[in-house]
Amino acid sequence: MSRINWLLMLSASVLSLALMSQQAYCNDSTEQINNDSCMKCHKRNGKMQGHHALDELNLSCSSCHGEKGNHPKKPNDLMVFSADSDLAVATQNNACLTCHIPKKLADTEWTHNVHAEKVACSACHQLHPQADRIMTLTTKQRSDECQRCHSVQR
Amino acid sequence: MENSRRDFLRRTCALVAGVSVSPFAANGTTDTETEQAIKYAIIHDETKCIGCNACAEACRETNHVPEGVSRLSIEKTGPYGEYPNQYYHFTRHSCEHCEDAPCVNVCPTGAAYIDKKTGIVSVKADKCVGCQYCLLACPYDIRFINPVTKAADKCDFCQETNLKQGKQPACVEVCPTNALVFGNLKDPNSLLVSTLKTNATQRNKQDLGTRPKLFRITAKPGEISI
Ligand code: SF4
Ligand code: SF4
Ligand code: SF4
Repeated sequence: MSRINWLLMLSASVLSLALMSQQAYCNDSTEQINNDSCMKCHKRNGKMQGHHALDELNLSCSSCHGEKGNHPKKPNDLMVFSADSDLAVATQNNACLTCHIPKKLADTEWTHNVHAEKVACSACHQLHPQADRIMTLTTKQRSDECQRCHSVQR
Repeated sequence: MENSRRDFLRRTCALVAGVSVSPFAANGTTDTETEQAIKYAIIHDETKCIGCNACAEACRETNHVPEGVSRLSIEKTGPYGEYPNQYYHFTRHSCEHCEDAPCVNVCPTGAAYIDKKTGIVSVKADKCVGCQYCLLACPYDIRFINPVTKAADKCDFCQETNLKQGKQPACVEVCPTNALVFGNLKDPNSLLVSTLKTNATQRNKQDLGTRPKLFRITAKPGEISI
C-alpha cells in the first residue's frame, strides 16, 4: 500500500514539475535580464526575449557575452556572436557549451555533430527574439537551410 | 559407302542440333538490347552527399508522393569518430532499376514492367491488383502501395513528370552538391558514363544477378569536402 502511495506521490510531483516548467516556458517572465544594467544603453537592441530570458534560468547579459571590462572602449573582452565576429568559432561555441552538453545536442539533432568545429551556433540559432526560427522549420525549409552553405555551381 | 553414310548422319545431326538450339540463341543474345539506344542509370556520390534530404522532398513534391510513403529516402548511419570530429554516411534508398527485375518477373498482371525504350522499371497503376508480390520480391525493399492509387509504386526516374518535360529527374535537379548524376549508359559522351569511368563504383546485392542501375560512389571514412 505504502509503495503505491509513494509511486502516486512521485508521479504527481513529476507531473507538477513538468507543468511548472511548461508554464515557465510560456510565461513571459523576463524581468530580470531586461533590467540588467546593460539595458540602460542597449535599449535600441530591443528586449531580450525567448527561452534564454526566463528568470528561472537566472541569466544576465554577461553570462553569455562576458564581463563588461573596458567596454564600450576598444579593445575589450566582450563576446559577439555572429558570422562576422572576430572570435574563433570554438570560442563562441564554448560559451554555449557552458550549459549545453554535446551528447544531448547530438541526440536532438545530428547536424550538431558534424558542424561542431566549423560553424558558430549563432549561424543557425537566434537567442534574443521570442522564437528561434530554426526550431520550427518545415522539412523543406530545413533542406534550404543546408543549401545556404552547401551548394556548388552547376 | 560406309563413309558417305556416316557423313550423312553426322550432317543431319548437326543440322537438327543447330535448329533446336537456335531459338535459345536468339533469346540469349543481346539483340534487343543493342537496338535500345537509351538505358537510364543513376549515380549517388556518397562522398558529396550531405544528407540534406532535398532530393527526397523534391521527389515527393514533383511526383505527388503522399505522406507516409516515399519513393526515395536517404539513410544515415553514424556518427563515426569522436566529438567534435564526427561524420555520417548517407546512402540512397530507391528503386535500382534492375535489368533483370524480380518485381517484374513475379507480377501476375503485367503491371510491373520494364520500358523497352529506356530500361526504366515502372508500374502501370491501372493494371495493378495490389497483390504485393512485387513488394516481397524486390531485394532492395523499396516498393510500397500508394495509399491514394492503391497500386504498387516506386521511383520511375520521373518518367511521367520531369523526363516528359525534358528535364532531369527532380532529385537530381535539386541536389545542392551535385551528388546525383542521371544519364544514359549508352551515351559515351554523357556525364554519367564519364563519371562511371573515372570513379570506383559499387552496386547493391550484385550477387543476386538483378543487374541494378543505381551506382554508388561510396564514402571513405573522413571529411566530406564541399
Ligand atoms: S530495385 Fe526492386 S523495384 Fe526496383 S527494379 Fe529492382 S526489384 Fe524492381
Ligand atoms: S528519379 Fe524521380 S521518382 Fe526517382 S527518386 Fe528521383 S525524383 Fe523520385
Ligand atoms: S539532395 Fe543531394 S546532398 Fe542532399 S541528401 Fe539528396 S543526394 Fe544527398
